[in-house]
Amino acid sequence: MASQSIDLIDLSMLKTFEDIDQFEAHIAAKEVECSEKIYDLMKTRDDIEIQLKTISQRLSSLKPVEAEAEHFAEVIKSTAVLAEDVSAKVRQLDKSKNRVAECQQRVNDLLDLQQCSEGVATEMQNEDYEKAAGHVHRFLTIDETKLKHTARDVSEGKNMDASFHKLHHAEEQLKLVVSSKFDDAVREEDVASVERFFKIFPLLNMHEEGLKRFTSYLSSKLRESSQKNLNGAKITKESDKRASVIYADTLTLLFEGIARIVEIHQPLIETYYGPGRMLTVMEYLQKECDFESKQIIEEFRKNREFNKKIQLVASFMSNKSDNKIDPKDLDLVLSELTLLNARTELYARFVRRRVLSDIEVSVTDEAEKAKKIAFLEKLMKDSETLRTMQLLLGQYILLEQYFMAQSVQKAVELDCLVEASGEDTYVLSSMTDDVFFIVKKCIKRSLGSQSVDGVCAVINNACGILESDFADLLLNQLRQGFPSGYLDLAQAYSVISASFQQGKIQASDIEKSRTQFVAYLNNTDVSMEYVTSLKSSLDKSINESFGSNLTQYEKDKIASCLSGLGSVNIRLKSVSEFGFSQLRSSAVKPRVKPWLDTFFHARPSYEIADEDFMDESASMQTLISDLDSFFKSFKVCLSPSTYEAFVAMVTNEISIQMEKVLFKIKFNRIGGLQFDKELRLLVGYLTSSTTWSVRDKFARLTQFTILLTLEKVSEVSDYWGKGPVTWRLTVTEVRQILSLRSDFRLDDIKRLKL
Amino acid sequence: MEDYKFLFKVVLVGNAGVGKTCLVRRFTQGLFPPGQGATIGVDFMIKTVDINGEKVKLQIWDTAGQERFRSITQSYYRSAHALILVYDVSSQPTFDCLPDWLREIEEYANVKVLRVLVGNKTDREDREIPTYVGEDFASRNNMYFMETSAKEADNVEKLFMEIAHALIEQAKVREPVSKYEGSPGQALNLNNRPQTASNENCCSRLL
Repeated sequence: MASQSIDLIDLSMLKTFEDIDQFEAHIAAKEVECSEKIYDLMKTRDDIEIQLKTISQRLSSLKPVEAEAEHFAEVIKSTAVLAEDVSAKVRQLDKSKNRVAECQQRVNDLLDLQQCSEGVATEMQNEDYEKAAGHVHRFLTIDETKLKHTARDVSEGKNMDASFHKLHHAEEQLKLVVSSKFDDAVREEDVASVERFFKIFPLLNMHEEGLKRFTSYLSSKLRESSQKNLNGAKITKESDKRASVIYADTLTLLFEGIARIVEIHQPLIETYYGPGRMLTVMEYLQKECDFESKQIIEEFRKNREFNKKIQLVASFMSNKSDNKIDPKDLDLVLSELTLLNARTELYARFVRRRVLSDIEVSVTDEAEKAKKIAFLEKLMKDSETLRTMQLLLGQYILLEQYFMAQSVQKAVELDCLVEASGEDTYVLSSMTDDVFFIVKKCIKRSLGSQSVDGVCAVINNACGILESDFADLLLNQLRQGFPSGYLDLAQAYSVISASFQQGKIQASDIEKSRTQFVAYLNNTDVSMEYVTSLKSSLDKSINESFGSNLTQYEKDKIASCLSGLGSVNIRLKSVSEFGFSQLRSSAVKPRVKPWLDTFFHARPSYEIADEDFMDESASMQTLISDLDSFFKSFKVCLSPSTYEAFVAMVTNEISIQMEKVLFKIKFNRIGGLQFDKELRLLVGYLTSSTTWSVRDKFARLTQFTILLTLEKVSEVSDYWGKGPVTWRLTVTEVRQILSLRSDFRLDDIKRLKL
Repeated sequence: MEDYKFLFKVVLVGNAGVGKTCLVRRFTQGLFPPGQGATIGVDFMIKTVDINGEKVKLQIWDTAGQERFRSITQSYYRSAHALILVYDVSSQPTFDCLPDWLREIEEYANVKVLRVLVGNKTDREDREIPTYVGEDFASRNNMYFMETSAKEADNVEKLFMEIAHALIEQAKVREPVSKYEGSPGQALNLNNRPQTASNENCCSRLL
């Protein structure tokens, strides 16, 4: 067929007239298209011409702009050259000016040098060391090599060399004199002279030397007073009211002495030696502190027979010996230990704070600052004082652990049944209160040490004792079980409590072990409450005793140790559950079964006639009254929350056993209504005997009765899957229950779509 | 509440200077701080890791190795889920002390605790304890074993992840155990541990 493009006509393809016509039409159409395009293009011609005209007009006006721009560039170039010229000259001038100033300085230096070298001899002779040192100080600020260079140029060399020589000599001499005069003053305890010469050292560029000599003087003062304090401590009479903490007091005096030295001398040192000297000062003072504190602690160990106690306790705890110390005998030394540690913590904080703020104001270079801070940390961390205290703290923890374990042991040995305090009459045993009193006392004492690690360790150990030893003890008591038998618990209890009043226990073994069991069930319950209140009381005490000194990290650390108390409660909960399971199998199950037997035997059948329906149910009344006296007998002897749990357990047992029986009974609708009535009575009674809702425990039974009271099988669909009822029964159970109705047809039940 | 499914306490013990703190730093912060000073008392750090899609919070207690802190560090044994006993492969004395450490663990730790022996500093050229000696000690004492280098970050991540893994397995196995069972009863026999993860487990070759 005809090709698309005109250029590519293959005339040979045009074989028929139709082809030619078609092709002609095509060409005609193309022609029209082309002429339209040409017309369109022609239309824009005028516009383009106008634009071209304006452009050529504007072009002519651009020429002067170009010329001006070139001129401007020329001007700028020449200005720049000029400016550079000027600034070079200014630079030269500046250099000259500096040289002149330097020259003046040299001249001044030369004049001063002369003056100093003449002055220094005279002042030395007059023993006016301040002035002499002043001269030397001036001389030390002179740049010797440069001055010598200058002097050679102006041929003043010889004269000046002599001056330098003289001054160097004077400097050496002065250094010796000042040092020896300082030492003399120290020996003669001439405080004024000590301070006088202390101030001269920095003038001679002897800062380090001066600080060293001065702090060693201060250290000797410290030693003197510390020895005096320690000797005083040694002869303190036992009757003295500070006798039990006398070594903590002595250590406190040492630390206070150091603090006082820092307070008094820091301003003096800053004035004459400049800021940033405290690290050096502390380095020297810490050595003395280490020496003195070691002596105090050694004396403490000796006088309190501390090492012997530690050894006894350590070998007892690792089962190497049976020799014990009465925990009471450790009470005082434990308090003193915490005090010793607290004082040391306080002292270390003081030193850190003081030195850090001194570094902060004097060092600007960050790297240098970090280096100094690291040095300070190392100084304190590695100090003998802190190391000694760490050892002592470790021994404190060991003793505290022993104290806690032994006191708990004692409480267990002295365990006896007691009535709960307050209005409640239930019985528990004395060890619960005692154990928690001991644990709380120990942890609170550890707070006094102001050591986070110490507190954490004591908390950990306390959790260990509660979670293992104490909980095991409760468990073992509950393992003995609750003896069954016909004697009611209330009777046993009244016998026991009567014997309390008469001061003698005469109850029978069964009664005794029942009460014992109940007491330990109560113990377990009360202990869980105690753990919770112990935790909140410790939270508060920790806040109080550490205040704002704790970092977030330390708070987290203590908190995670305290969370160990949570594990204690988990353990106690399982002990309590064990106790309940004992009670259930020996006291509850054997009762519930005969009650229900009696109840269901009272009514031979639940297939009854309309006229047999009764609003009252004597058999349910009997069951309720049996239950009521059973509850009453436990209510008097269980702690409130244990009693609640007990009622819940009994309720649960009844509903389970009742359900079992119901599956074996045949009903008609009236019978179903009758049972529904009876169940309502029971639920009503149970609701009134406890504070929580028992309806939940009866949810299955209530749904059971809904099915038993239906008129027609098809009514199930009004309830199933509709309304607010959450069904606790399975589909199979529903069919099973419906089949208990003798008046329902099995086919209808099978056909139900559920 | 924080979002995690398991919380495990891991305690590191061993002689001073074997690199306990460096192992913990490497694992929790990815750092190897040279010139680490001796630990004072006990440091603790927390890292939450993901094990098969389950968030596991590891509370790591890094104890001081020096004798004078012993009564502080001992107080952490009891509640530990895993104990990592570390020695330095280039220091015979730190290896020789292992029986003492084991005695301490026996005395204070829960019998169910997961025990791991770690020979650290494998980057050192002057090794004194060959791997098989450490392995042998571990298997004789029913412990997991691994060699690490905190400096080269070698096996450190793996160590803690394996521990988290093993602890989860342990927790899952133990769950159905009667809750009325009082004091910890039987020691967990490592040989009975489920074999799920142990094919690629460093310790499998030991057991």
